[in-house]
Amino acid sequence: MQTDRSSFPVWLWYALLCIFWWGLWGFLSKIGSGAASPLQMQILFTLGMLPVAVGMLLQMRWKLDRNRGGVAYGILSGVATGLGTLGYYAALREQNASVVTPVTGLFPVLTVVLAFVVLRERLNKVQLGGMLLALASIVVLSI
Amino acid sequence: MHWMAYASFAIVLWGVNGLFMKLGTNRVSARSMVIWVTAGFLVLLPFLLKVTTLGGLSAGMIFVGLIAGTVNGLGNWAVFACLEKGAKASVAIPLTALYPLCTVVLATAFLKERPTTLQWVGIALAVAGGAMLSYEPATVVTSPEEQAQCVR
Repeated sequence: MQTDRSSFPVWLWYALLCIFWWGLWGFLSKIGSGAASPLQMQILFTLGMLPVAVGMLLQMRWKLDRNRGGVAYGILSGVATGLGTLGYYAALREQNASVVTPVTGLFPVLTVVLAFVVLRERLNKVQLGGMLLALASIVVLSI
Repeated sequence: MHWMAYASFAIVLWGVNGLFMKLGTNRVSARSMVIWVTAGFLVLLPFLLKVTTLGGLSAGMIFVGLIAGTVNGLGNWAVFACLEKGAKASVAIPLTALYPLCTVVLATAFLKERPTTLQWVGIALAVAGGAMLSYEPATVVTSPEEQAQCVR
């Protein structure tokens, strides 16, 4: 990981920014979920993402990175997220959200295991403790 | 099918997705990833439109859903930028998964919802967990010139 003398690395700013945007997404979804079905919301989310993609394309002056691996992982990421969300909605049809959401909230465990095996990433002891606390908080906040 | 089968399906896909995100940003820019991920979402759109339509939704609700999608896209860009700037997937993914903390804060501020005792516990755990996940022991990055001086 890129570190420097600064105690607040750049990547952390982006992580906090992401938490803000996704937190706002969760808030708006909460407002919308009263009137729209999860599948209708999923359609609207997809359409709503288009202006961001177009904005990025304009910023890049249409010079899109076309590395084959990058393109494949990018598209797979979108499909996996979308399909995973459909699986989550399907589980919600059979069980209460207070049970399903804390369970599905454990997905970062799999990412950490895969990053350990595939990317050979290693967490220090503090980060491992932090991950356990974060997982506990995800479960508690989802109930 | 049992709900746990669907939940496991979601866990596997979202968990693997964390790896895809890192592998993707190792190869293309964060901005490009946003575009390719959006393309991935668009692949599913025809199937969704076969199952349901947007009929019956008020204009206001459609607007809220679209804005939610836009801020979700901005969040995607931020997490890709985070990974692009060198964050480990094993740190960035659990850290950004703490976003419900922000949702609780917004719901408290704007919907006048009061967090329950359990949610306060969750908030405390999230803040502590987030701070610990972000902890990287300070290492000194030396420039090539400094390294050359050390050799001398």
